[in-house]
Amino acid sequence: MTVPILMPLATLLQAQYDPIREEIGRLQRNFQGLIWGFVAAWVILMLYTLMIVFRERKIRREMERLKNLVEEAEKKS
Amino acid sequence: MRQKVIFAMLALAAIIFVRNLYVISMLPDEVNQGQIFRIIFFHVPAAAAAMTGSAVALMASVLFLIKKDFFYDSLAVAVTEVGLAFLAVNLVTGSIWARVIWGVWWAWDPRLTSALICWILYAGYMILRQALEEPTQRATFAAVYSIFAFTDVPIVYFSIRWWRTIHPQPVFFSKNGSFPADWLRALLVNVVAIFLFYAVLTMIRLRQEQTQREIDYLRRTAHAM
Repeated sequence: MTVPILMPLATLLQAQYDPIREEIGRLQRNFQGLIWGFVAAWVILMLYTLMIVFRERKIRREMERLKNLVEEAEKKS
Repeated sequence: MRQKVIFAMLALAAIIFVRNLYVISMLPDEVNQGQIFRIIFFHVPAAAAAMTGSAVALMASVLFLIKKDFFYDSLAVAVTEVGLAFLAVNLVTGSIWARVIWGVWWAWDPRLTSALICWILYAGYMILRQALEEPTQRATFAAVYSIFAFTDVPIVYFSIRWWRTIHPQPVFFSKNGSFPADWLRALLVNVVAIFLFYAVLTMIRLRQEQTQREIDYLRRTAHAM
């Protein structure tokens, strides 16, 4: 009588420690780790590249502004 | 001309990298680590590029102190800043690998700790430059600091030989090396691609530093008028 009651519980415990499922989980974590590693590497490098691009724009704008300022000052003097 | 060289180098790096990505994906999994071992194809070249950058920064700093030529100061700051980004890639990819293989994100192991200290030291270099306004004083202080910061680089490199660490032992060009020839070829190709990308970013940053110097000069001229 007790066996049929315990059967679902036993199956549940067995499923929890299923070595195949465990191995699939391990492989999945392994692959996810690899993808996250690649993504992280490229995100860092792309963010840095974007930072350089924005700095380039800022420098060019500043250069233009100062050149105009100096030219105007020279004309006045 | 310089612009064309930069674009050509960038295109070459992209072609080599995309082709090599396919080669790396076709390699068999490592027996103990599985697929995650492929992180080494980014982790190691990023570290190699950053370490080479710090050696260039050291040489540029020494040359600045000898010749007082601001070109060397610009070169030092350019390679250091790009190196920081690559060392960050190295630390982050290593941390992700550690989470999968060791089960923890970080361990206070000699290799990891010395690499983190290296990153902090070079970040300090960038902060120091922001803190000083007078150009000659800034360049001199930064050059001396950069020479001091470089002392950590050999410690990072030799830490896995000098101390007992959980970080994997050297597998390239060592007596106990176990990296197969085709894996090593794929790694070296990635090293070439990443070094090219590093060189491109350094050239752009170097030009920006030189332009910034011109801007500072123009600003002083404008104020004098």
